Amino acid sequence: MQITVSLHGVFRIDRFKLKTLEYPAGSDIQKVIDDLKIPVKLLGIMLINRVHAKSTDILHDGDTLMLLPLLEGG
Amino acid sequence: MKIQTTDPVTHPEQILYRRCTIDLKNGKQKMEDVPCQNLEDVLGGFGRSFQLLAERNISRAYSAENPLIINTGLLTGSSAMTGLRTYFSSYSPIKGSKAGLPAAMWSAGSGKFGCKFKWAGLDELIFENRSEKPVYVLIKETIDGPEITLKPAEHLLGLSTHKKIMTLHKEYDDAHFAVIGQAGENWQNVTMGSVALSTVNQLKSGDDKLRFAGRGGMGSIMGHKNIIALVAQSTDKHPPITKEVKEVHKQVITGGGSARLQPIKRGGGGGTWAAYDVMQPFHAVPVNNYRPQGNNLAEKLFRENVEKDYDIQSAACYRCGITCHNYISEKNPDGSRGDFIAKFDYEPLNLLSTNIGIHDPGQAGRLIHLCDNYGMDAISLGVTISYALSYNERHPENPLFNGATFGDYEKIRELIILSGEGKLPGIGKGSRHLSELMGETDYAYHIKGLEIAAYLPETNPGYCWAIAGGHMSMGSYGTLIREGLSDVDSWVKVITEDKLHIVGFDMVGLCKFFDITQGIGTDKIATCLKSDFNLEIEPEKIKAAVRRAFLLGLALELRQGYTKAEYCLPAEVTEKPNPHINLPNISNPEFMAELAEKVWEVFDKELEGLIP
Repeated sequence: MQITVSLHGVFRIDRFKLKTLEYPAGSDIQKVIDDLKIPVKLLGIMLINRVHAKSTDILHDGDTLMLLPLLEGG
Repeated sequence: MKIQTTDPVTHPEQILYRRCTIDLKNGKQKMEDVPCQNLEDVLGGFGRSFQLLAERNISRAYSAENPLIINTGLLTGSSAMTGLRTYFSSYSPIKGSKAGLPAAMWSAGSGKFGCKFKWAGLDELIFENRSEKPVYVLIKETIDGPEITLKPAEHLLGLSTHKKIMTLHKEYDDAHFAVIGQAGENWQNVTMGSVALSTVNQLKSGDDKLRFAGRGGMGSIMGHKNIIALVAQSTDKHPPITKEVKEVHKQVITGGGSARLQPIKRGGGGGTWAAYDVMQPFHAVPVNNYRPQGNNLAEKLFRENVEKDYDIQSAACYRCGITCHNYISEKNPDGSRGDFIAKFDYEPLNLLSTNIGIHDPGQAGRLIHLCDNYGMDAISLGVTISYALSYNERHPENPLFNGATFGDYEKIRELIILSGEGKLPGIGKGSRHLSELMGETDYAYHIKGLEIAAYLPETNPGYCWAIAGGHMSMGSYGTLIREGLSDVDSWVKVITEDKLHIVGFDMVGLCKFFDITQGIGTDKIATCLKSDFNLEIEPEKIKAAVRRAFLLGLALELRQGYTKAEYCLPAEVTEKPNPHINLPNISNPEFMAELAEKVWEVFDKELEGLIP
């Protein structure tokens, strides 16, 4: 299946902003996080098709996954 | 502090704090060791000062009867990382109820002044009445305890915050400083004056790298009292760092809360400024007076775009490993670092750039620099200017002031200079004052008279119950974006249980970044208190004391005439929903009405009898 992955903030460094990736059916968000070596301690927000999600949520063909860093304080 | 117990919960009276009360009218001083009445007193900060303010019935902020209380937290000057905080408390000249009464307020700042203040042997300094002539206050460590002297300050008048500090620095070795700028001197026309605190980096480099107790006009109160500066002179007294505290520090630096604040080269997110990158995908970065239009304007201030033309240096407070902020400097043609421009922190940056239509990093930095040097609260100033710009956009035929519009750097700069010099009370007295003068209050972005932080109100109904500024006294500002919570009951819990505890950091002397994720009631805090003072306090007891202090703040608001109808978001938010924000709408009237009912249902029961 094809998943469009949108990265934000520091996750773009040495990776990409937006890319369509191939994943086997049944893959979850954690699989993408692991493959892209996203630092877990910085990972704050995961969205599937703009809806908040958790790392164990299963992805489906055509989904857009957004991964954003933590938002704490200002 | 004199600590004669290990159990401050059962025996707070066995802990005494050193308080000096000065009557500025006649110079009389009273130095005393005051037994704590409860754990709030022991922890300090606003937990103690608000109990004192509750004893006063104050109807005007600028009055002789309104005290200015300066104190520290128990962990200020301790071995705990971020233990740098100084607190300024008083009834505020800018925050007040529609009944016309001023609200009790505190403001916190880092820098090294708080440590020097405590190491001089003092825990609390209260100023009564006002001085006839401008003075600065020298707090000096002696073998007999702290010695306090009032000194003529005419030579400091008219200087910027930075120049005041550097002038005093030439005179006093081993000292740190808390000063007001020209804004605070012109308190009659500026109610948003801040207090600037010196840093080690500032005194060493000569660059204006200060810290601020910005919120609520505490610098204006200081100006009204005719106190131009405070000097705390003492030797450094760093306690040894035990292995237990070292382990806590390790957790602080690597923990979830501060991880994103660490420099990028250390695997972090790059400081508070990185909030831009997280909020922009939701179109939730404030643009043009909190009305993002679904475009990419905010991206112009993304780090990746700023670093093309400017030098960015990660920076930390004194002995702090969190490294939460960035210094922006000119970049020389050869790529080396040029002149220092300003400190980029999320709130001042956004409210003095994107939210007023400025998208050039250099211009943004210079406006922040001006605001800092005049000694104004960047949040109140930025939001009041954005109101004026919004008014001018709506009334091009009859604009306010110099006719400044969003993005007009030169005219906005002029507004800041005039405000700082006390020549533009329309800006200097804040957005509520200006909006009421103009008869258009719907798009004035304040709550209870105090301008909100740089998080859209659409994302944070918790603003309404913040007791001392939107993001520093109610930690709910990132909840919708972070977690997507959109049901009323979850928000009731966020406001009444989880996120109010952020104020505990403004009692104990630490920065909220010490543990922004887990908050105040943790083993980390208990470990530091045990290690430095041999105090045994269960985290739950700390949380309970913090809750009591918060509730007292809420009770004080109600006593000062706030009605529950004033606990509301700016009208534009609820009446004209912004379709460009990619988040659930939790600011609609129905949601807010149900939320208010349920929040008050929780708080009302606990507020009974808090104030006699």
